Amino acid sequence: MAKLKEKAAEDNAPDRWEAQLRKGALEMAALACLWQGRLYGLEIIRALETQSKLVVAEGTVYPILNRLKDEGFLAAEWVEAEAGHPRKYYALTAAGRRRLRQMAEAWESFAGGMARLLKPVLAKEEGRR
Amino acid sequence: MKNGIEIETYLGELRRHLGPMTLEERDEVVREIQAHIRDAAEQGTPVAAVIERLGPAAELAAQYREGLLLRQASRSFSPLTLLRGAARMATRSAAGIVVFLCGLFGYTLGAGMVIGALLKPFFPDKVGIFASESYSSSVMSGLQTMTTTTRTAPHEMLGIWAIPIFLAVGSLTLLATTMLVRAVLRESQRWQTRLQ
Repeated sequence: MAKLKEKAAEDNAPDRWEAQLRKGALEMAALACLWQGRLYGLEIIRALETQSKLVVAEGTVYPILNRLKDEGFLAAEWVEAEAGHPRKYYALTAAGRRRLRQMAEAWESFAGGMARLLKPVLAKEEGRR
Repeated sequence: MKNGIEIETYLGELRRHLGPMTLEERDEVVREIQAHIRDAAEQGTPVAAVIERLGPAAELAAQYREGLLLRQASRSFSPLTLLRGAARMATRSAAGIVVFLCGLFGYTLGAGMVIGALLKPFFPDKVGIFASESYSSSVMSGLQTMTTTTRTAPHEMLGIWAIPIFLAVGSLTLLATTMLVRAVLRESQRWQTRLQ
């Protein structure tokens, strides 16, 4: 019984933790997609998937984009496509660029610290046999 | 055709659950989600799958509404909206309680003084700052017209000057309260975002 509970705990825990981790990084990732130029919603989702392997629930991205726009980090405008329906394009504002820079630097410093901490954990276990 | 109905149903539900947003904002959201569904469908994903990946309409709406009250409040100048924002903050933190009480106090005080200034011409003896020989007290607003027994009748110190003084101080208090609550709501937003 105890073993089963342990196994169940092990299976659930990393998923939940990982999900929290992704959620925290998503804002920064969304902003980063727009560093080179403007994109519309679906393009941002695809970029996140292909470039960062960040598979996101699409229902999460749009509210985040909306919030970033409300906070002044993104500017949005509807653009008519030649042979189709209009699309809502997002672009970084000056404040957005500054904020992204800030987040990226914080991320790098954090990741660096974690890498140092985790080095022994990730080292190959050859010596221990 | 069936797809069209599915999409309309989903969008309709989404719109319904976006309640607290302004009409304009709701239209924007629905329009964007509609464009998303159409784009994804054009690229080959079946509509049903697109809708499923978006998640239940109610949950999608909930994500849009997350933090919305605080964002709206921090951009508003209306005392009611600001107090509602502060009240929401109060449910989450002790700082929020402090902000809410300060806001309440500030608005009450400021409004009281302005009203006092407006009533002064009609009730000159009831509004102002009072002092007497046996005790001195400051009764700052005509709203507190309690009868107290005193040995000598308190006389009002400001006279006609009560009107502009109360008006000015009251207005400044209202302004300061508004600015303070707004600033705190703004700051708390930034912390919220980080913790999520």
